[in-house]
Amino acid sequence: MALKRINKELQDLERDPPANCSAGPVSDDLFQWQATIMGPPDSPYQGGVFFLTIHFPTDYPFKPPKIAFTTRIYHPNINSNGSICLDILRSQWSPALTISKVLLSICSLLCDPNPDDPLVPEIARIYKTDKNLYNKNAKEWTSKYAMA
Amino acid sequence: MNEQTTQEFDFKDEMIDEKITAQQEAIENEIAREQKLISDLIKLDSLLDEYSLEDTIYRSKIIELSANFSLVRKTRGDGNCFFRAFGFRYFEAIMGKPDEVKRLKDLANKICTDLNQLGYNSFTVDDFKDVFVEELERLADKSDVKLLEEIFNNPGSSDYIVVFLRLIVSAYLQKNADFFLAFIETYQSMKEFCSHEVEPMYKESDHIHIIALTNALNVSVGIIYLDRTDQTEATPHNFPEDSNPNIFILYRPGHYDIIYKN
Repeated sequence: MALKRINKELQDLERDPPANCSAGPVSDDLFQWQATIMGPPDSPYQGGVFFLTIHFPTDYPFKPPKIAFTTRIYHPNINSNGSICLDILRSQWSPALTISKVLLSICSLLCDPNPDDPLVPEIARIYKTDKNLYNKNAKEWTSKYAMA
Repeated sequence: MNEQTTQEFDFKDEMIDEKITAQQEAIENEIAREQKLISDLIKLDSLLDEYSLEDTIYRSKIIELSANFSLVRKTRGDGNCFFRAFGFRYFEAIMGKPDEVKRLKDLANKICTDLNQLGYNSFTVDDFKDVFVEELERLADKSDVKLLEEIFNNPGSSDYIVVFLRLIVSAYLQKNADFFLAFIETYQSMKEFCSHEVEPMYKESDHIHIIALTNALNVSVGIIYLDRTDQTEATPHNFPEDSNPNIFILYRPGHYDIIYKN
């Protein structure tokens, strides 16, 4: 059942790719994907290319996909292991959601961090108290880790 | 910033997160091993075994209830119990009735159109509807309880049906948001309520889910409330209120099972 759904998502992504994102299987194993997100314009991540891994559980779509950044990113809701704190990847996952919608939500999270539910409290503190420093650090990390 | 400290913190955070997930999975697996999604038919008075002899409120209510209701099917306590209990019992009530099956099938297609208009991806929604309709149609011409039990005990079909029932509730609540907004607290919009409280699997159901589902499908359901309140009888509550249901669900705080009238 999971495989049929994953195939449908793949076709949907090819037909109607979300803005600034791409995703697809790494090899013959359709449960392991890689995705890229282009740093959104008007964010300190602009110009960066961020890689993510997507792992589909065997009981997908009843359980959410496991998604993590492999590119380092300076963000209050994404930690150094690449884990993302996003409600739809945890308790608010719905089987009617898709990878495409999740990637778009991650793009939104890059533009609008959620410092009140931080995964990295220090970055959240800086985001709340010194937006200029946050922008500076995020830009530095983007050019250091996310630009070829 | 001090990157070293952040990394250590992240690592600890991650460990706790993983431990919680692992523990949750262990609990889920244990429940799955011990309890079928939908049990065989059992006698109502066997529920007495779940309560101690001193528990007179529950015991007397169960004895009282057994005058009118004799059989029960227990559902797995996984947060989907209302939807699964309703789905099983509703399929059971209409199996072997091609007209009723067709009515539900047409309604399912219409609800998919509503969901598309509400902005849902048609390919995900159709996936759940297709399984829902396929399984339903296997029962269109015959009353086959064994097949029904098989469909609802196989997670591959059972969970698809549960998801579609959740989507039916979500579509109905969003279409009738003006009316239902008065009943939801803490949420800004009906869309937000549905994405938090209706659509995620394993989220428990409340009054509002039951009202929406019975209205959306135009089906009457009686919920029998069995709780510790100081009445001698379990309290029946029909949805819609003035209806005369033949589908009954037993509610004990936090859980729904199927119950059969004599």
